[in-house]
Amino acid sequence: MPITRRRLLAGSAAGLAFPALARAESADKPRLTAISQWSAGSDGAAISALGKLFEEHGGIWQHNPVPGFTTEMMNKLRAQIIAGDPPAVSQLKGPEIAAWSKIAPTVDISTLVKAAGYADKAPAELAKSCQPAGHWIALPLQVYRINTLFMSTKGMQRAGVTRAPKSWAEFNDTAEKMKAAGMIPVANGGIRWDDGMKFEIALAGINPDIYRRAIMQLDIDALKGKEVLAAFEQLRKLANWMNPNIAAQGWAVNLPAFVKGDMGMVLMGGWAQGNLMRAGATPADFSSGPAPQESGPPCFDLNADCFIFWKPKGADLEAGQKLFAELVMQPATQEMYSKITGSIPARTDVNLQVDGFTDGQRDSAKNLREAIAGDRVLLSLGHNMAQPNGMTAAMIDVLTDYVHNSAIPAAEGQKRLVEAVASAQ
Amino acid sequence: MRTILPLPAREPKAGRPEVADVWRRRIGGALTQLAIWVPLAIAAGHVVVFTVWTTWVSFTASTLMPDYSWVGLRNYWAVTRTANFQIAYVNLLIFGLGFVLLTMALGLLLAILLDQRVRGENVLRTIFLYPLAVSFVVTGTVWSWLLNPGLGIQKLVNDLGWTDFRFDWLVQSDKAIYTLILAGVWQGAGFAMALFLAGLRSVDGELIKAAQIDGAGPWRTYHRVLLPTIWPIFVTVFVILLQSAIKAFDLVRALTGGGPGISTMLPTLVVYDFMFQRSELGRGSAAAVLMLLSLVVVLLPYGLYVRWQRQRQARA
Amino acid sequence: MKWSRLIIHAALIALALLFLVPLGVVVVNSLRSSQEIAATSMIGWPGHLTFANYGQAWNHFCMAEHCWGIEPYMLNSFTLAVPATILSTLLGALAGYSIALWRFRGDQMIFALVTLGIFLPEQMKLIPWVVVLRDLSLMNTIAGLVLIHTVQGMSFTTLFCRNYYVGIPQDLMKAARIDGAGFFRIFWRIVLPLSPPILIVTVIFQFTGIWNEFLFGVTFTSGGQQPVTAALIALSAAITSEPMYGEQSAAVLIAALPTLLVYLFGGRYFLSGLTAGAVK
Repeated sequence: MPITRRRLLAGSAAGLAFPALARAESADKPRLTAISQWSAGSDGAAISALGKLFEEHGGIWQHNPVPGFTTEMMNKLRAQIIAGDPPAVSQLKGPEIAAWSKIAPTVDISTLVKAAGYADKAPAELAKSCQPAGHWIALPLQVYRINTLFMSTKGMQRAGVTRAPKSWAEFNDTAEKMKAAGMIPVANGGIRWDDGMKFEIALAGINPDIYRRAIMQLDIDALKGKEVLAAFEQLRKLANWMNPNIAAQGWAVNLPAFVKGDMGMVLMGGWAQGNLMRAGATPADFSSGPAPQESGPPCFDLNADCFIFWKPKGADLEAGQKLFAELVMQPATQEMYSKITGSIPARTDVNLQVDGFTDGQRDSAKNLREAIAGDRVLLSLGHNMAQPNGMTAAMIDVLTDYVHNSAIPAAEGQKRLVEAVASAQ
Repeated sequence: MRTILPLPAREPKAGRPEVADVWRRRIGGALTQLAIWVPLAIAAGHVVVFTVWTTWVSFTASTLMPDYSWVGLRNYWAVTRTANFQIAYVNLLIFGLGFVLLTMALGLLLAILLDQRVRGENVLRTIFLYPLAVSFVVTGTVWSWLLNPGLGIQKLVNDLGWTDFRFDWLVQSDKAIYTLILAGVWQGAGFAMALFLAGLRSVDGELIKAAQIDGAGPWRTYHRVLLPTIWPIFVTVFVILLQSAIKAFDLVRALTGGGPGISTMLPTLVVYDFMFQRSELGRGSAAAVLMLLSLVVVLLPYGLYVRWQRQRQARA
Repeated sequence: MKWSRLIIHAALIALALLFLVPLGVVVVNSLRSSQEIAATSMIGWPGHLTFANYGQAWNHFCMAEHCWGIEPYMLNSFTLAVPATILSTLLGALAGYSIALWRFRGDQMIFALVTLGIFLPEQMKLIPWVVVLRDLSLMNTIAGLVLIHTVQGMSFTTLFCRNYYVGIPQDLMKAARIDGAGFFRIFWRIVLPLSPPILIVTVIFQFTGIWNEFLFGVTFTSGGQQPVTAALIALSAAITSEPMYGEQSAAVLIAALPTLLVYLFGGRYFLSGLTAGAVK
């Protein structure tokens, strides 16, 4: 075919357009590098779904989950920061957001938050942790309630218990009945944060205000007070009702026994519902509700995962961060995420009455709204929300030692906790 | 640094200019220096630099990141006061001694047994050696199942009828450290066995014959002749097992997680905990330096002993 | 005399069985389904045998967004362990030879410094290595890990090789020098041919150590380049949210296979290498 001038013109125009087009594409295409610890399980599935959503909106998703737990993830993050190559976003939570934001530059996303009208939708405590210097540098992904009590249906029948206990006195009563029936009343794990969590549930149930002063504000008078002593005494009771053979295994190994009715109660965060389902339980096998509360309506002991935004190098990463922030703040994304992990959305205005949520999640979300209104939202100690990691670890050292060593009396445990707080400051 | 001996002069080949030889020798000399010094400098250098850096950081206020502001001994003071650290040190003594001595004892026993020209020696030797191939994480995990009173050995014996049998060290704060020794001995005995067996087999046949001619029975032959001859091997095995004990980390994390509570903490875990979990690099470095110092306490006598031995040989 | 032979054999067989128990438990667990293990107990006979765990572990198990199983991670471990083992062994042989046979001023001091490296815990070396790799632009590469393991491996390999080479008589060296041989020629022609026993010991030791190493493998690589130890850790983290004990056992066995095979076939040489005077 003869090469006419027209063809030549058309051909060269196309040829010139191509690289320009390609350059425009790659310059615009938002890209996101992310580090988290969520490589498997429902967390892994949820973050992957979020990634797919990101790609559906035209972005390039580069997520690097670090095998292991939070420490390994922080190791990797630290290594990347020292190497001068932080990811665009990374998983971080609670006071660690403030601590880490001091060592590497972050991005101020306050304008995006304002544009989305998001600022007053998240619980105040959570919002505060995402704004250590007064402007938003992180966004919450999901929220869990820590102080949740799960009852085994078969276990309740076996012990002759008709309803979940509402106060610690009733709880202790129920546990005694279960013990008498030959069951293990409390199914627990042998991991540090699990022991710490039991203490915080006990204290939060006894007196949320004291919890706030003692654990969140480290008020020495509150730490030396009688409520904390009572919490230690309750913790000793809980320890005596726990599985003696758990050693260092996670709490989830107890679940088959829990479903069968050989173990009666689980005090765990809301994610336990997911564990139960994956262990083969049906909704009829268990019931869930708030953990015992001595006086007043149940408080909400909060645990949340957030993503922090690091200052990126490159326009594509900046665009990626913008897209990611917008996506994460949308109710639809939060709904999708929480459906997969079993958490509740960080946005309090998401409607959970739709399909895909369980009653446990709905109850939790209602609890959160009420707790926000009644100023009864607490931050979790065992899950690194209330204090920076160093202080948390020092306190949990005392708590886990206390749980596993029955020779330590409650007063001694309280004394050691006060000492640990003093020396870790 | 010069090499001891310069090469002797060569006769220049007929028709070959001497200059080329000189250059060849110079380049050869330079390459030799490089080949000697580059690897050694890097290896020795990394030891020195990393140790010095860690010591430096231990005197600073480093938390999440290295920070270079001097705080003197504050980190050391803070670390030695934590229960974590104190428990870890006691545990290191118990675990170190127990692991090293028991591994050596079992290894020696296995070596002596295998030295008896038994049938199936190859198979047996492989069976005793394979634990070395397995990572510490796997060892710790499997032993955590076996030693769990509700899952493993105790349950098995109870099911067989001896319902009073107890083997629940794993869940007792004061006995859990012994489970670490148990798992460690299982993993390391094969290594000790291999070294001892090699040593026993390489003893001069004449020595054994002489002992037998003197009427020594097997026990005396071992006791008086063979074991003393392989004394240097004891030292080597000791050193290698010692460093294994000091660096024990994965095994502890997988077997006990540092628990029950904090009763099986070891110094490497304390270092990791402070440095990475608590984001307190300064304190973690202080813990690491303390760990290394305690090593010096053990190694210094060994170093002096070696020096003394060499001087004795030189004098002889 | 017969009695004592009987006792010796009985003791050995009893000990051998004890040694095999942990391996047996893992093998049995890899043939049970995870649900069964979760429902009954970690240790027990299989209700019914299943080989599905192996298939799952090999190329179906999901980590992050990829369901590759542990196959690609095994390849990464090979890419890491083989070069690092070879390099650290060769350099160790060279260094051992320099210190034991060639000799130079300060050689004992250097030897002591290099050998002290075997006592340094990994945890304290993590951050310094980050800085080094950053300056060499080797972060998140297998090459970076090879560098780390080679340098650290030299502490062990130099120790082993030097202790072996001191057994080579100095007369051999002197004769070679008189013949006009230089550093490299002596190494190549005399020392290396004498080295196979110790080289095998060193290779086995190094390969096992590098293959099973986890802390650096996880921190200095990302995503699909991680070694198999990282995948195993991901599996155990996944187990906290759903029971996958069968797959974990199968994965552990697959991952341990190379080192087990090394000991199976190399065990004999391991021993003869040590016998030949590796241990002094």
